[in-house]
Amino acid sequence: MSVSPGIMPTSDESAELRAGSELARDHRGEFDRGHGHALPAGAKGFFTDTTVCIGCKACEVACKQWNQLPDDGFVFTGTSYDNTGDLGSSTWRHVAFIERPGAHPTTGFADMSWFEGDDAPSAPVAFGPDPQGGGDFSWLMLSDVCKHCVHAGCLDVCPTGAIIRTEYESVYIQPDVCNGCGMCVPACPFGVVDRREEDGRAWKCTLCYDRQRDGLEPACAKACPTDSIVFGDIDDLRAIAEERVATLHERGVDSAYLYGADAASQPGTQGLNAFFLLTDAPEVYNLPPDPVDPTHAVGAAWRSALVAGAAMVVAVAGAVLSAAGARR
Amino acid sequence: MSGSQDRHVDPERALLSGEGAGQRTGEGDHRFPVRGHGTEHRRPDEAAAGDGGTTYYDQPLLKEPIWIWSVPAYFYVGGVTSGAAIVGAVAQLVDRQGLDRLIRRSRWLAGGGAAVSTVLLIIDLGRPARFLNMLRVFRPSSAMSVGSWTLAAMAPAAGASAVLPAVGARRLGDAAGLGAGALAPVLGTYTAVLLSDTAVPLWQATRTSLPRFFAASATVATASALELFPTVDAREEAITRHLGMVAKVADLVCGEQVQHQADEVARVGRPLHEGASGALWRTAKLSTAASLAVSLVPVPARWRAARRILSAVLGTLGSLAGRFAVFHAGKRSTRDPRASFAQQRAGRGAAGVDGRAGVTGPGGQRATDA
Repeated sequence: MSVSPGIMPTSDESAELRAGSELARDHRGEFDRGHGHALPAGAKGFFTDTTVCIGCKACEVACKQWNQLPDDGFVFTGTSYDNTGDLGSSTWRHVAFIERPGAHPTTGFADMSWFEGDDAPSAPVAFGPDPQGGGDFSWLMLSDVCKHCVHAGCLDVCPTGAIIRTEYESVYIQPDVCNGCGMCVPACPFGVVDRREEDGRAWKCTLCYDRQRDGLEPACAKACPTDSIVFGDIDDLRAIAEERVATLHERGVDSAYLYGADAASQPGTQGLNAFFLLTDAPEVYNLPPDPVDPTHAVGAAWRSALVAGAAMVVAVAGAVLSAAGARR
Repeated sequence: MSGSQDRHVDPERALLSGEGAGQRTGEGDHRFPVRGHGTEHRRPDEAAAGDGGTTYYDQPLLKEPIWIWSVPAYFYVGGVTSGAAIVGAVAQLVDRQGLDRLIRRSRWLAGGGAAVSTVLLIIDLGRPARFLNMLRVFRPSSAMSVGSWTLAAMAPAAGASAVLPAVGARRLGDAAGLGAGALAPVLGTYTAVLLSDTAVPLWQATRTSLPRFFAASATVATASALELFPTVDAREEAITRHLGMVAKVADLVCGEQVQHQADEVARVGRPLHEGASGALWRTAKLSTAASLAVSLVPVPARWRAARRILSAVLGTLGSLAGRFAVFHAGKRSTRDPRASFAQQRAGRGAAGVDGRAGVTGPGGQRATDA
């Protein structure tokens, strides 16, 4: 095929890609079968490659269905094909649809060379209304999820110990302990955790802890038809992600970068166990540019509070002593 | 099993055992298109929409705090509790005999305030029956955990300091009064730390000025509450008036600092200027200033009581309005994604704490790079 760079691998490139994702493929094979016994402990997570997301929302559906989450009302946003809007207490996967002017970062073309015979399209198929090089409009899609931060604000501020770190380094809210104090809700710099009012407790993605305990990969990753969502050991995911960025750069997609892949690239969270490959600024995807676990900054507040508390005592002492001479 | 309709599952055919199967839904109540508090707090805020940079359809980045009115009410009541316990303990150390009535009043205020505080905090919980889980662990990184333990230790001490002398155990009461007084400075200020222990842009921006403002507001509230007792002698009146004057000056100065820190990034400070939270903030400043002015007016002896009561009412109003203003302005700031984006791009996210900003583009481009 002459059309390149394409969003989907050409037949030449697919061998290269296959080699690159050997680790993930190994894991996937393993997870597909399901051991019937728990995955070994150690940091697990998601690598979400937004350049291959097609916005099918299979992850949203698989998540709702597997976790038996209730609907959260049927809202029509009127802004895009995204009628979910954001993550919440009963929405643990959310696909964002970014409609923006300009060509798709991967030029908007798919390679259709695997079609044979009469089905073969005579020209490349565009992801967008204009077949001439992407046109003036394109979509970006991102399947958002709890980031399972290495330094997690929600966990650090939870006063009941309901939020714990599991043997898979994921962040888990124990529903039988949570008393609905609401502290974790504004503490999350990504706006992930929410309390369902009728339920009174905070909820979020569990990284399918139950499935991992049964040797299975999370439902969303399992359902993703393009492997935009890849589940695995964090170290393997980082290697795959870096290779993918290098491949995209080689193909001229200069805008590709990793968001939250490690502590060096996101000091405020010390890295995310669910990280992303993006092709535009984080704000475009409703992700914070420089998030910070709020407890990193709380030392300054405590120092100010101790000084202020001492000043209260001094003011009271001054007032009591100042009145010593007053008539009784 | 509850909620099978909302899950679109036939309970005859499916076992509800998933991770989210226990989530209650208010099933069957379809009078409202969106149930409970629903998703309204998660939708774009019209007042925050508009220009000022890229967003995702103006969708909020953060979840608005779901705390109800009882939380800012607790800020006020807890402030009185804290201030009164300090007044009681200090007065006890200075002149146990001569200030006996002021000590008794302070201790009842502190003991009653601690009881009311506990109730206000419990009714805010999503699962009030599980309030004891607050004492399940001690987590220093959680200001709410530190505060819960402080209140749990202080409430019995404050209550005992009020009740024990009345039943003849004066020495034990004095010891309890000192114990309550020792914990009180933490109770009066940790609430500000708790607010800045969140990702809410306004509360993050004011993390060093808010504790000072809350301490001053607590002292104004305490002096005003003590001034509201119908009979006071000259010495008691002088104590509360002097304390109130110092605290009101501090309140106004620290309030300006809060506003200044919030306004360092224009969009972050906006809720202190606009809307209901802005009106509350102005009310707080005006009331406190008016209360200070009234207490400074020289009056003949027979007008002293009127001056005291008027100043106390204005001071109480100022303290209450200030707490509700900070609370609602913070909530409002979470509805505006541009507030967080602008704050973090201005180097006040992780860059302002951990020294280095996050990567936001290819080639290691950082959030604070121009």
